[in-house]
Amino acid sequence: MAAPTATIAPTVETRASRGLWGDALRRLVRNKPALLGLFFIIVFVFAAVFATVLAPYGPLEGTLADRLQPPSSEHIMGTDSQGRDEYSRVLYGAQVSLVAGVASVIMGVAIGGAIGAAAGGIGGKVDSVLMRVVDVMLAVPGILLAIGIVAWLDRGLPQIMFAVAVVNVPIFARILRGSLLSLRESDYVTASRALGAPGSRLLMRHMLPNSLTPLIVAATLALATAIIDVAGLGFLGLGPPDPRTPEWGTMLTESTKFLRVAVWLLIFPGGAIVVSAIGFNLLGDGLRESLDPRMRR
Amino acid sequence: MTADAPLLAVTDLVVRFRTHEGTIHAVNGVTFQLDEGERLGLVGESGCGKSVTNLALIRLLPQPAGKIEGGTVLFDGQDLTKLREDELRAIRGRDIAMIFQDPMTSLNPVLTIEEQMVETIQAHKEMPKEDARRRAIELLRLVGIPKPETRLKSFPHQFSGGMRQRVMIAMALALAPKLMIADEPTTALDVTIQAQVLELLRDLTEESRTALILITHDLGVVAGMTNRINVMYAGFVVESATTLDLFAEPSHPYTVGLLHSIPRLDAEEDEPLVPIEGRPPDMRHAPKGCPFAPRCRWRLDVCWSDNPSLVPMVAGTPVVMTGAGATHRIACHNQPTAEERVTGHPMRPGFLPAAAPAGVVDEVGAGHLGGTPDGFEGLVHAIEAEEGPISMAPSAGALPLTPEGDSHNEGVFHDD
Repeated sequence: MAAPTATIAPTVETRASRGLWGDALRRLVRNKPALLGLFFIIVFVFAAVFATVLAPYGPLEGTLADRLQPPSSEHIMGTDSQGRDEYSRVLYGAQVSLVAGVASVIMGVAIGGAIGAAAGGIGGKVDSVLMRVVDVMLAVPGILLAIGIVAWLDRGLPQIMFAVAVVNVPIFARILRGSLLSLRESDYVTASRALGAPGSRLLMRHMLPNSLTPLIVAATLALATAIIDVAGLGFLGLGPPDPRTPEWGTMLTESTKFLRVAVWLLIFPGGAIVVSAIGFNLLGDGLRESLDPRMRR
Repeated sequence: MTADAPLLAVTDLVVRFRTHEGTIHAVNGVTFQLDEGERLGLVGESGCGKSVTNLALIRLLPQPAGKIEGGTVLFDGQDLTKLREDELRAIRGRDIAMIFQDPMTSLNPVLTIEEQMVETIQAHKEMPKEDARRRAIELLRLVGIPKPETRLKSFPHQFSGGMRQRVMIAMALALAPKLMIADEPTTALDVTIQAQVLELLRDLTEESRTALILITHDLGVVAGMTNRINVMYAGFVVESATTLDLFAEPSHPYTVGLLHSIPRLDAEEDEPLVPIEGRPPDMRHAPKGCPFAPRCRWRLDVCWSDNPSLVPMVAGTPVVMTGAGATHRIACHNQPTAEERVTGHPMRPGFLPAAAPAGVVDEVGAGHLGGTPDGFEGLVHAIEAEEGPISMAPSAGALPLTPEGDSHNEGVFHDD
């Protein structure tokens, strides 16, 4: 071994770094598909937020005399079977989808996260019991579970949000539990335990913040499925109780009756669902890549 | 050595892991003591129980598999094996601190150094945040981090490996512990940084009279660092001596083997390295006889049936457990002689290692028995022992080293 030297060489890393999140953001900006996804999402959110300004007509406004008109300069997406402007309805539909999607994912993350944190953080019997419950929930197909919940709680937008949230709960619970379990064995958790950190702080300060990245990715991807699930429930006739509500799934159901004469009624709401879902999917994938711990070094 | 009780007294510590593949006998009755301010090296190859011994001391064995199944750990008069979890938590960090092998992963990536250090200090001491912060700066300066006031705001990934290990040392020293356990603290660092970090560790523990247990597989690391050394093998302490005694008179065949498998700068030019044949024993079985017997060149028949206990080299010497006058103790039935310590293999005329009983794998290759090892032949023997005879004749698929063969080789390169 080399003779020990008394001087200490400063080996400070010089690479400019903006911290974990700053680096992740930088990688995300370089990811083209993720930026495309972000663009779709911005369009979707913009449409939802400014629907009242952007829409030339009200969502319920229309006369039967104007029914089933093809796209024209007056109605750029045509009109539906009640003579309502399809473009305005798609814009207002974005509101419903955005609110339902975001609310259900927030609910799902909150409930699933709490279950996952309890299971992964406490462990032992609590973990076994909670995970068996989650297994049972996972065994039921998602849309079937949602249908059951809406059938049980009656139709309504809050019920739909809850149903879609419940479908996502086991997924979030598993993800959080899994990352907590792997973090529990990680060196820095062992190291801080060896320095006397109490269990609560190990969980709150060391394990939870480090387990959030997979949850963020999953939540972004879940927004895509939530929008599809909400539309799916609408398509199956379990949409908002007022059938006039501009909900994309409900609008699709209606369009099937006029498929041969008014194909635009299928294309525009369907396209809106596809674009918003793809947007969240692309962004979610991009986030996964830029937050991947293996790319961090 | 001193009349009062030692700082740490580990007696007959037994640690086992219950796994799906059976019980792992990780630590099999380890006894040692440590005085205040003393530095002890624990040496042995991977899986010999050095790390497990120390994780067991502060009861951080991987759960639920790892269990202390026997023995006592008296630290400052308290038996750590009997404390409640919250009592232990108060001791961890405050009285006993631990530094781990990989500084790259031992710090939380999402918290700044400041948050982590202040948190550690406040976990044990009622102290305003500002004071804890000042203490953190002081500690960082102590371990040689330049511009500690600004570096405190940095995240771990903005530090190099050596710097992170300094931060870890600073955190471990934060509460002036009585005992510091460093588990291979420099293995993940490059050689020049290793020396700096080791020296820092030695100086700081010396200044504060902190006792140190240094775990390593590298005898070179402990040489200048420790007062005493315990050599461990298969969960047993096989040799225990002051550092001076151990290097002057390495007496267990395993210690002799360890010393002969390291290249030395002052070695005679043609002095061969003598490897220790074979692998550490399968810890799923409680050893019958000496655990080192299958790899030992000095073994006798008795070694296969009786596991020797750790006794003074000179029979009848009273045992001193700690300090500069600690007794040189060894667990061996057939100690190498002074001459054999130098050569690294038995020199007695006609001596052959006792044959293995039926059903036991003999790890000492037949080509080595009693003589100077011949590297290549030994390798062949070792492989044959595992995989059956090797044919030395060129096989049909081998490339002939003829001009045609050369052009054939060229063709291969062109294809690439």
